[in-house]
Amino acid sequence: MTKTIEDIKKLVEPDRIHRSLYSDPELFALEQERIFESTWVYMGHESQVKENGDYMTLNIGRKPVIMVRGRDGNINVLHNQCTHRGAKVAGKKCGNARAFRCCYHGWTFKTDGTLIGVPHKGGYEETHFDIKDPKFSLKVVRSQSYRGFIFANLSSKGADLKEFLGDAASSIDNMIERSPGGDLEITGGVLRYRHNCNWKFFVDNLNDTMHPMVTHQSVGDACQSYIDELPKDTPPTREMDIVAPFGSSYENFDMMGVSVGPKGHAFTGGTDSIHSNYMEVDGYIEAMHKSYGEEKTKEILCVNRHNTIYYPSLTIKGAIQSIRIIRPISVNETEIETWTFRLKGAPDDMLHRTMLYSRLINSPSSMVGSDDLEAYTRLSEGLMSGGSEWVDMSRFIGREERPDGNMTRAIGTSDISLRNQYAAWLGYMTDVPQQEEL
Amino acid sequence: MSDKNCPTTSEITALINRETELLDDKKLAEWIALFSEKGTYWMPVAIDQADPLNHISIFYDDVLMMNVRKHNLKHARAPSKEVEIRSSRLTGNIRLLDFDAKTGNMTVKCNFQAVLYYNEQTLFAGQYIYKFIWTGEKYLIEQKKVNLINCDASHGTIITYI
Repeated sequence: MTKTIEDIKKLVEPDRIHRSLYSDPELFALEQERIFESTWVYMGHESQVKENGDYMTLNIGRKPVIMVRGRDGNINVLHNQCTHRGAKVAGKKCGNARAFRCCYHGWTFKTDGTLIGVPHKGGYEETHFDIKDPKFSLKVVRSQSYRGFIFANLSSKGADLKEFLGDAASSIDNMIERSPGGDLEITGGVLRYRHNCNWKFFVDNLNDTMHPMVTHQSVGDACQSYIDELPKDTPPTREMDIVAPFGSSYENFDMMGVSVGPKGHAFTGGTDSIHSNYMEVDGYIEAMHKSYGEEKTKEILCVNRHNTIYYPSLTIKGAIQSIRIIRPISVNETEIETWTFRLKGAPDDMLHRTMLYSRLINSPSSMVGSDDLEAYTRLSEGLMSGGSEWVDMSRFIGREERPDGNMTRAIGTSDISLRNQYAAWLGYMTDVPQQEEL
Repeated sequence: MSDKNCPTTSEITALINRETELLDDKKLAEWIALFSEKGTYWMPVAIDQADPLNHISIFYDDVLMMNVRKHNLKHARAPSKEVEIRSSRLTGNIRLLDFDAKTGNMTVKCNFQAVLYYNEQTLFAGQYIYKFIWTGEKYLIEQKKVNLINCDASHGTIITYI
């Protein structure tokens, strides 16, 4: 590594960042180490490992880990690395295991990581090996749950998860409250969408409200062209409900507002968003009234946020119960996973609506997502030109901003969430004690 | 009404050839006209996925969404549609899974390979499963289901129907 802290500081200014942030492989490696492998990264929801022994294999940055519910019912995150020669002890994406047995020499570990078996053990007599020595157990990663959302942190230092999420956790709270049963459950599989671009283009775009009317104009127009073909008085459909707002006006997006907080977290929308005018689903309001009463229901449902980003790894749409996980693969390769929540106690039709939303907006086949990805691809290629060294994010800087709890609220088309993310990025990338001096 | 005769292999092949040819030729309006009013195009994301509503899919379009895509594909300002899409579909191993002489309806399965050239060349492979309904005059598609062998892979943009 040749980049010093001083070099990195020169890449981020208050209203612009250097183009190399998106293309420099060395910066990508440093991001993995200093961001993804040093802060709270989303693993999954507790409903994905319901039974004791249920596990999922994941990565934190470049490091393979296992999220597993142990025999005691507790969920642990373990390094997926045999303490013998180092092979991954779990190979499948998910499954149920009584123990993890390494496929190479058969060292076997309990689901809490404890080493319990080593074949032909006699050969280790008079060596440093001791089956009871914790250093031969799978190393446990610090993990915490926020209301069922499990995050892990490879760094043992730093804030607890709740403090890390800060006021932005209210988006998770709202998604849970939208369930008449007060609980969520992951269901219905996962969509994986390969993005041939740097992970930050995707994150930048989540709260970029100046692009939909340009990038997605064709989708709004296509909806309108189809409506024009239909006989008059044809009732509106749910598909149009979902797709058409992506062609909303600048004024609409201004009004939505945006809130930013510490650590790069942010959300667009408040009482209004592109989700706030959906048709009602039969039976849902009634179920909510029964659980919460009319007034509280109104209070819950008038929170209509669009995307909330828990920087750097998770983005959620509480109003539509869909989440996406950001998995960087290389400097110009990223995988985006889309998962769906069922609101417990809600009619099945609510789930069907979420599935429809994810297919129309987040699937590899989406008319909306494919135009976003096309824009990211052109950003990747365009920034290599070097006609300008800088990427602008100055819109509404210092204007139309006000404090909102521990967050800052701004006009919806402000670049404030970009500025906030890159301030957090710079914080992570330059907060490196000792190592630098070695 | 008398029972309908079972279509011959060449009649079934002609139906499939017509459908895939219209996609190859990007004649989406004519392609959509092959579907019944309640017709759907389904591409599951999981192997043996039984359910398009309670489980996520890559595609599950009704005729309405097909029509929106038709307009979107030719829109001058759809950035991802500026690159020309070229494709070639090949089908084989056509077999009749089910035929109901009373209604004339049938289910047909075949293997396919589809090569798309869009920025780069991509190969898709798997099975098509067609549910055809007999109107008394012609067959319409009630559902075209596309089972990709790599349905659960991490896909780049799938720019059009396969």
